[in-house]
Amino acid sequence: MRSHMKRFAFLISGRVILGAASVLAVLLSYSWVTGQPDNNPALLPPISHIGQAFVVNVTRGTLIDALGASLYRISMGFLIGTSCALVLGCLIGWYKTIEYLLDPLIEAVRPIPPLAYIPIVIIWFGIEEFSRILLISIACFMVCVVNVVAGMKNVPQVYVDAASTMGASRFQIFRTVAIPAATPFIFTGFRIALAAAWTTLVAAELIAAPSGLGFLLQEGRRYFLTDQVMMIIVIIGACAFTMDRLFRGVQARLTRWSEARE
Amino acid sequence: MSEIVVDNLSHTFGKDTGDALNVLQDINLTFASGSFNTIVGTSGCGKSTLLKMMAGLFEPSDGRMTLDGEVIRGTDRRRGMVFQQDAVFPWMTLAKNISYGPRLRGASRREQAKIEARWIELVGLKGFENRWPRELSGGMRKRVDIGRVYANDPDVLLMDEPFGALDAQTKERMQAELLDIWTITKKTVVFVTHDLEEAIFLSDKVIVMSARPGRIRHIEEIALPRPRSGEMRLTDDFIQVKRKLWGMLEH
Repeated sequence: MRSHMKRFAFLISGRVILGAASVLAVLLSYSWVTGQPDNNPALLPPISHIGQAFVVNVTRGTLIDALGASLYRISMGFLIGTSCALVLGCLIGWYKTIEYLLDPLIEAVRPIPPLAYIPIVIIWFGIEEFSRILLISIACFMVCVVNVVAGMKNVPQVYVDAASTMGASRFQIFRTVAIPAATPFIFTGFRIALAAAWTTLVAAELIAAPSGLGFLLQEGRRYFLTDQVMMIIVIIGACAFTMDRLFRGVQARLTRWSEARE
Repeated sequence: MSEIVVDNLSHTFGKDTGDALNVLQDINLTFASGSFNTIVGTSGCGKSTLLKMMAGLFEPSDGRMTLDGEVIRGTDRRRGMVFQQDAVFPWMTLAKNISYGPRLRGASRREQAKIEARWIELVGLKGFENRWPRELSGGMRKRVDIGRVYANDPDVLLMDEPFGALDAQTKERMQAELLDIWTITKKTVVFVTHDLEEAIFLSDKVIVMSARPGRIRHIEEIALPRPRSGEMRLTDDFIQVKRKLWGMLEH
């Protein structure tokens, strides 16, 4: 037991070290490139400039405002999109009638990239906050619903049969067998939806938004503030990474029973 | 009282289609209340199909089955089933698996705990209450399967090659333990296997089936005394019965 714990601790630390090493390698090569005498800092700003842009935007308060606006949109869009996906996905995956009814529709709509809806959403709802949240919701819904359906369809038949021969009703089987058996799939759906939310958010904010990270990117392009653009890209990456890690933590906690290892 | 009667049952998969497959033909059987019965036959003789119909997992195309005179239609808790595959819910601890059935019917926490304690003890898994199924061996998971069905208190137990995937030693131990539990509870058991020795060791009655379409070939009453012990497998009486039935199986 003792040696197991040690081995585990070693694996964890090894993992963190390796992960940090790759990030460090990228930073080092970047600073080497930007340190060359013929480098144009307007195109490839050195790390110190990017850091300065960060400080400037923090002191001006613009970064916090932008981050707040973007995170609000992400959370709302994610919550609405994945909630709908969860409810509809469960129904489609579990009840044949609903599947036959809705599956062709979803399959036909799914390949359309969410960004293709931008013009129509702007025509219908204007460039309001609602439009941006709607777009993110659509993106989250589309990628998530497929996973929820797959999860429901992959519930092993023997579990369903076992529950039903113990006297469980169709709804009880749904609640006590199908949902827990599908949790790993559902969580994967949530994580993919989160990534889709970031993609769509920035695109939506680039086109029309008075605030947000995408707005700062756009501003950076307009005034040729490459360091600001770079800084925002790093911020987006860091946010998406942190949120995904948080999700993985929750997932690992809720699916402790699963044999799947990371 | 819990007697199962199979009355003139036939079953055809894909009836009324071009490639209809007749799997069961004119099956008539009676499983007396409290008896241990085993159906043997080579693969494809429809023995598992027959068992699943008794469970109510699907309906026969002709004929019917009754439990105490009541026609079997659909699943219900009176007919519990142990499957060949591992059916332990991996997202519940061992104890929660055992009390799954009572929990479905809204048993109180106290009742659940009582049932868990009793059946975990009886299937020999004391000390593993809070383990996840993935932490248990195949044999232990089979014990959970059996304990969970018994804890649900059905009238009849249907077992579809439950020990098929276990190694020889584990299998023999589980057979003896199953007989112990059966002796305590005296519930009607219908067991399906392709292992003749297992069938003879466990049963009051062995039903031999032939394949394509599945029919009843022979019914053997096993007169070996009870309680049965492992050494009995080596006695002349046992081997004689085995030889007789072996000749009837299609090899």
